[in-house]
Amino acid sequence: MRNNPSSKAYRTILDTSRFYRSLGVPALVILAFLFILPLSIILSKAFVDSDGGFTFNRLIGNLTSAYTLRILAFTLFQASVSTVASVLIGLPGAYLLATYRFPGKRIIRAICTIPFVLPSILVVLGFVIFYGNNGLINQLLMNLFGLEEPPLRILYSFTAIILAHAFYNFPIALGLISSFWEQLPAHCNQAAATMGAKRWTVFRTITLPRLMPAILSAATLIFLFCFSSFAIMLVLGGGPQFTTLEVEIYRRARMTMDQGGAAALSLLSIVVALVLIFIYSWTQRSLARQEEIQETVQGRLPRSPQSLRAKILVVLYTLFSVVFVLGPLAGIILRSFQAPGSRSGNLEFTVKWYEQLFGIQSQAGSILGTAGTAVLLSVVIATITAIISLIIGAMTAATLRLSKGRANLTMELMAMLPMAVSSVIIGLGYYLISSFFNESKTTGSILIVLAHVVIASPFVLRTVLPEYRKIPFTYTQASLTLGATVSQTFFKVELPLLRGALATGAAFAFAISMGEINATLVLANAQVVTMPVVMYRLIGSYNFPGACALGTLLIVCCALVFSLTESLKRRPHA
Amino acid sequence: MKKHAILSLVLAVSLVPAAIFGQGKTESPASIANEITVYAYDSFTSEWGPGPLVVPAFEQKTGIKVNLVSVGNGGELLQKVLLEKNNPKADVVVGFANDILHEVLVSGLFVSYRSPEMDRIPEFLHFDPSFTLLPFNYGNFAFVYDTQKIQVPPQSLEDLLDPKWKGKVILMDPRTSSVGMGLLQWTIAIYGEDYLSWWKKIKPNTLTIADGWSSGYGLFTQGEAPLVISYTTSPVYHVMYEDTQRYQTAVFAQGHLAVIEGAGILKSSAHQAQARLFIDFLLSDAQEAIATTNIMYPVNPDTVLPDAFSAAPKPEVSLMLDADAIAKNREKWLTEWVEVMSR
Repeated sequence: MRNNPSSKAYRTILDTSRFYRSLGVPALVILAFLFILPLSIILSKAFVDSDGGFTFNRLIGNLTSAYTLRILAFTLFQASVSTVASVLIGLPGAYLLATYRFPGKRIIRAICTIPFVLPSILVVLGFVIFYGNNGLINQLLMNLFGLEEPPLRILYSFTAIILAHAFYNFPIALGLISSFWEQLPAHCNQAAATMGAKRWTVFRTITLPRLMPAILSAATLIFLFCFSSFAIMLVLGGGPQFTTLEVEIYRRARMTMDQGGAAALSLLSIVVALVLIFIYSWTQRSLARQEEIQETVQGRLPRSPQSLRAKILVVLYTLFSVVFVLGPLAGIILRSFQAPGSRSGNLEFTVKWYEQLFGIQSQAGSILGTAGTAVLLSVVIATITAIISLIIGAMTAATLRLSKGRANLTMELMAMLPMAVSSVIIGLGYYLISSFFNESKTTGSILIVLAHVVIASPFVLRTVLPEYRKIPFTYTQASLTLGATVSQTFFKVELPLLRGALATGAAFAFAISMGEINATLVLANAQVVTMPVVMYRLIGSYNFPGACALGTLLIVCCALVFSLTESLKRRPHA
Repeated sequence: MKKHAILSLVLAVSLVPAAIFGQGKTESPASIANEITVYAYDSFTSEWGPGPLVVPAFEQKTGIKVNLVSVGNGGELLQKVLLEKNNPKADVVVGFANDILHEVLVSGLFVSYRSPEMDRIPEFLHFDPSFTLLPFNYGNFAFVYDTQKIQVPPQSLEDLLDPKWKGKVILMDPRTSSVGMGLLQWTIAIYGEDYLSWWKKIKPNTLTIADGWSSGYGLFTQGEAPLVISYTTSPVYHVMYEDTQRYQTAVFAQGHLAVIEGAGILKSSAHQAQARLFIDFLLSDAQEAIATTNIMYPVNPDTVLPDAFSAAPKPEVSLMLDADAIAKNREKWLTEWVEVMSR
């Protein structure tokens, strides 16, 4: 074999795939240690009865209970509606971002990612401050028309849940779809248009089918997020009539100390989520094979809007996203500058919450104060998380792109697993992990970064994979035939083609890490005090405006980082 | 090309160093002679909690070092020590509420200690006759109201059912919130078997049933509704730290459910003497710091409190359900509650 020249190309490809296959290994190792191992231990409790014996009864009992099935049905229903709403809101924006160049484009992208970093308690507060019965909109209307009662009753209903989920999740649709759309070759549309097809027809028959991989990617992520939503459900929905599986898992794990029951319910939710991910992955594969980058990799070059209609559209969407996203954020910022005045209790302007945040010395005695240290720590952890997630995500995507055989599908499912598991159950798993380690700040920080990587890399993977699948394997082959090494091919040929997707993925990974609280609290026994941890503590000790002040700082940090990634994203040749 | 596979493996392994060096390094607690490890719920250890005040004072008084570890909330504290059963690290756990007493006793992980300080603590606070958990602070659940919207507050649980409070009450879900659980037990303490009829009638009056105290109380201070379930002591915070008397407690003559928080010593602790000193300290010298940061009542009647605490009228009747009854019926109550409330 070795001396046979004709087998050389064959060998090269084999070697290549071995290289690419091995790229997925680190992701698997981290996943196994930090996720699958503790999770299986926790989930195995579903099969242990009260005397320590083996049982299936608990699982069967849960599966056949009418109540469980009812909340499962509702969980799926609300997640579907929320997903459709988020995608529908994101789609026009993705079109505008992919098609036009206009001032404020970068701002739209940057602010849209912000809801993502906010802990749900702050989103709830922001929503209430903006849309609430005593919120900004209602106060404005009451003052304008001299009304006694708030005219708009948006919150505490099913609509409010969908609204909040859309606020949280439409940025995913916007980000993923627009970065994919920008890479779509324009010539098909041009050809169709030349042959006299109407715009709508072109969109419906050519663009939309080709966008499907990105739309499905976004939809799956959004669905999984809404699937496990719970704080937003209860508070903004109005109460127990809107119960998700996650609420019931929480009840068993935290309130009634029924770990077996919690494990049984999460097994149920994991299976349901996996079925969805499976269907999605399968669809995604068959779609991706139809779409490969053509020889001339000419994406759409965004241009300035020419027609009046285009200009109006751009202005309207910009206004909409600014109000929709910035409204609740503005609520948080406003609250951070208010304090009840003495006696009367009326709200007055103040900067005292900020003074307090930076004035209180942390136990470590740092000069920056509690808030300063937390800001710094959060940014450092999020940056490292984003970098590692990017590497892991891109590497795993390289392996998965080979898309042959059942083994890869299994691996893809495993890589998506963290998104399918309730955070309450993951939290129990973290306790398990942390009980093996010495409580030191360094170990804690490392564990936190790794846990964030586990949560964030599925995102990077979902962002990168659809675009990676579009790169024909012949590119890789050609590059190797021309004498480039495998790593050169990976870094110089493939990665540059993925630039946009990588930047989007990194931004989301950063955001996820900035807002993450479950793993952070548990893994380091709260010795590693990040911004969400401080926020959670402030709220726990009645200091809501202080939490809003810190939330404002979080918003500012993220806005800065997101505009930075946006500027990195511009393609080298454009 | 094998090189690449190996390289990736090396990278993979280097990314989980914690998994490797974490194991062997665990120091046995006994190796540090004069240090105790204390597990407490997160808000106890936070910058704004009692921890930063209590720990240095104790260290100075006794010369014993304290390693204060933050562990989520009350239920999670128990989970953590149960998970560590075979590799125990803590000496003292601070923050089990009275409604979890049964589970704590059943775990068999804690040792009984009758602190001499208990003699000074009123009888109704001795929630654990076996002295496995000793009380260090307590509170009473109560409805807090906004004086800008309400001049005449409700006088009883029945008063809250009046149609004039339609959409004006914020509650919390007992499945996810300990305050929500408190209200559920309060209604059971007052109405017994018939408690669900109160819940049926309160439904139209609730604005929302929040997932936790944090979001519910946040809605209240944001002015979404003028009544919220919280603690009798909640107004103290607004007086002490915001200098306003806008928020006040509605005192009900029928009584308020009490929540008593306790601390206990682990059987496995190699520092029983030091742990006992810490408990004694918690029940005596630390009382003022705990009360003013936790915004709860101290258990030790000798504690001198700031004037702001006059904003928290102590209820004349403090109610409590039997711990065994709670453990036995908790699941059933929740199921019945959901059945009624989710229709």
